[in-house]
Amino acid sequence: MKARSLFARRLSDYLIKILSALAALIAIFALGWILSVVVSRGVSAFNLDFFTKLPTPPGISGGGLANAILGTLLITALASLIGIPIGMLAGVYLAEFGLDRPFASMIRFAANVVMGMPSIIIGVFVYTLVVKPARHFSGYAGAIALAIIMLPLIARTSEDMLRLVPNSLRESALALGAPRWKVTLGVVFRSAKTGLITGALLALARISGETAPLLFTALNSSYWMRSPKEPTANLTVTIFNYAMSPYPDWKAKAWGASLLIMIAVLALSIFSRWIFREKKIRKG
Amino acid sequence: MPKLSPFQSRSALQNRADLAFRGITVFCATVLIIIMLAIFFELVRNSGLSIKKFGLGFLLSMAWNPVTQNFGALTSIFGTVVSTIIAMIIAVPLSIITALFLVELAPPILSRIVGIGVELLAAVPSIIYGMWGLFVFAPFMADHIQPALGKTLGFLPLFQGPPMGIGMLSAGIILALMIIPFICAVTRDVFQMVPAAVKEAGFGMGSTTWEVTRKVTIRYGFRGVIGACFLGLGRAVGETMAVTFVIGNDHRISASLFSAGNSIASTLANEFAEAAEPIYLSSLIELGLVLFLITFLIQIFAQLWLRRIAKGMGDRL
Amino acid sequence: MSDNLTRPLSMEREQKRLLQDVQSLEVKISVKNLCFFYDDHQALFDNTLDIFQNRVTAIIGPSGCGKSTHIRAYNRIYEMYRGYRATGEVWLDQENILSPSQDLIQLRKKVGMIFQKPTPFPISVFENVAYGLRLHFKMSRGELAAKVEDALKRAALWEEVKDKLDQSGLAFSGGQQQRLCIARAISVEPEVLLMDEPTSAIDPLATSKIEELIESLKQKYTIVIVTHNMQQAARISDFTAFFYEGHIVEFGATRQVFTNPAKKQTEDYITGRFG
Repeated sequence: MKARSLFARRLSDYLIKILSALAALIAIFALGWILSVVVSRGVSAFNLDFFTKLPTPPGISGGGLANAILGTLLITALASLIGIPIGMLAGVYLAEFGLDRPFASMIRFAANVVMGMPSIIIGVFVYTLVVKPARHFSGYAGAIALAIIMLPLIARTSEDMLRLVPNSLRESALALGAPRWKVTLGVVFRSAKTGLITGALLALARISGETAPLLFTALNSSYWMRSPKEPTANLTVTIFNYAMSPYPDWKAKAWGASLLIMIAVLALSIFSRWIFREKKIRKG
Repeated sequence: MPKLSPFQSRSALQNRADLAFRGITVFCATVLIIIMLAIFFELVRNSGLSIKKFGLGFLLSMAWNPVTQNFGALTSIFGTVVSTIIAMIIAVPLSIITALFLVELAPPILSRIVGIGVELLAAVPSIIYGMWGLFVFAPFMADHIQPALGKTLGFLPLFQGPPMGIGMLSAGIILALMIIPFICAVTRDVFQMVPAAVKEAGFGMGSTTWEVTRKVTIRYGFRGVIGACFLGLGRAVGETMAVTFVIGNDHRISASLFSAGNSIASTLANEFAEAAEPIYLSSLIELGLVLFLITFLIQIFAQLWLRRIAKGMGDRL
Repeated sequence: MSDNLTRPLSMEREQKRLLQDVQSLEVKISVKNLCFFYDDHQALFDNTLDIFQNRVTAIIGPSGCGKSTHIRAYNRIYEMYRGYRATGEVWLDQENILSPSQDLIQLRKKVGMIFQKPTPFPISVFENVAYGLRLHFKMSRGELAAKVEDALKRAALWEEVKDKLDQSGLAFSGGQQQRLCIARAISVEPEVLLMDEPTSAIDPLATSKIEELIESLKQKYTIVIVTHNMQQAARISDFTAFFYEGHIVEFGATRQVFTNPAKKQTEDYITGRFG
């Protein structure tokens, strides 16, 4: 036998160290590239009109995306109204009652499946369920699609956060004679408050950027919304339509909308992580 | 955590409110199962027309003609599979060595900054990747990377054809960027869970850092790393907007990575809103069903795999 | 602690013999003014001692006194972590291993380590023992198998695993796992073996087996063993160093340290008055 080359071993070790630093660099570089592009191209589309006016007919420059901004806000709010309560209560079931039962395992499995489902499939589903029978696209359909995406996310994060609350807390409240529902919605929720909010914010960040589920549910529109029963303008589908169009003015607006979405999503993500860390530090 | 009976505090008869509460939570939880099943049924039901007309041949047919109303899934499936393979080939090694960097090599401050950067990459919405991909990355590929590849590796059919920028290769690369944060995050957790004593034993024998990582850390957390890959795989298969912007939207199968193509998701995104004829719509929905089944299978494998890890948690990850 | 102090004459003869013994011994490791720091906190203060070749040196002391930290300077395993540093000199044969030019891989080939909790890798028994061999050498499959068998025999484990070589190293009892780690360490023919409380996580029966093993291993290797079990130190070691709060209080032949300690602190510890 002969000794293995120390040089060769050190060399491969060194090479891998360089490669791994490079890989990390690539990730950061890519992030920086994307962010800088979105900011530089998006900012140039920002003006007062962008935020206050309706879109102009195709080919004519000017106008803005005010209806789309409002539409996104509205659809997101509607989706949250549906998704957050149902999701949290599902999480309550899993953490407080279901625990290790086989039924709870089935629920978790279903949650994982729906979570892993491509969002466009969810869009197709809501189309066949809501849009087709009603024979028209609607903001409601879009909100339902987004709510379906939020549901399993909120259910799982809520379950995790609620499980962190020690049983002794529940026992002390019950021992005082409080009913179970009061214990859960009061004491337990308050104890897990930060985590629950974080989970909701992260789900919100996720759906704010979604396009595919809205493509054939809420569709898009060039007018102010009169009711969510109609197709509703929204930023993400607008980006899709405008980007694929031949008009430079529209493409510029697409960048503006992209920047807006980016800001919203990143702000929500960073904010939610920040409050979660703050809580961790304070609790020690 | 020991189980608490929901009726611990008083007799069941007085507990109508608690019963109702529990009932509501059960209902909300069941909604998840209902949704999962409903998606499947709706997809099957609405594919009926297409299934009846094309049968199993749908999966193997390369046709896609809205005029003659002849549809086949093969071009879309091909696009999904190829773009995903490219993405995994790039993303898995990069994720593992990035996780290595974060856990073993970087000083704490750098590790934190890079870690946050990787997390933010995951938060960027798909459509932003699409915009960047179409207007910035694709031209870059067309002007610099693809010509270089064509010159050096052009003898391979993989790298032949005009450098358009958009196409299978670009789609795969952007997909890789999107799934790296997921695989990296899980791999990093796995690496951190290897007990220090085992790593010390490796170093104590005179191993280099890479040798300890390769022979001890990765071995120890192998199953967790595979689980992470499943996660990335599931995401890549269903990714829509980024791929739609960059893949070129052409129903074709080509040996060249430079050529345009279509994935199931991109086909749906592009054509669904305009599909007027029932058979067209039904074929599109059947495509959706195929994607549903692929994703579902990946989920099942991933779940089974992760469950096997959890069982053997005592002695290794 | 068997000998009593009522036979001064034979004690003197004992002392003389030990002195002669020491003078004829080679010094394998010579530690001079070793200090150790975790960030700003100092853990070791001017440690100076000699480790003699082919002898067992025990390091004893209350928990947290720096015993493990001290021997970890002998293979610089602390370099895995940030914020740890050592000053002073540690001479292994003719080289100061604390100098920055010291090759760590070569050092760890010369100085092997056994840990408190047995750490077999999650691979087969054969692969575990072959790990070090594969790392440092190129050899044929036959040579490898022969060396693995040899190491397992020297670690007194061969008979128990010879037809289970493909089983995972984790599938055995604590005592067997520890002997597997010993086999793995000695397979690359080190010169020094560091053992950090090797039997504290093992049952008494397996412990005595390992103690027998240590006794036989010292013929080939220099052994430094950290232990909080004084009886063990008295049983198996030739020299003992008593540590307290990062300082070496006393160092000498085991017989002498245990029966006629020079410092009161040592005596208090040994008689169980503290620690």
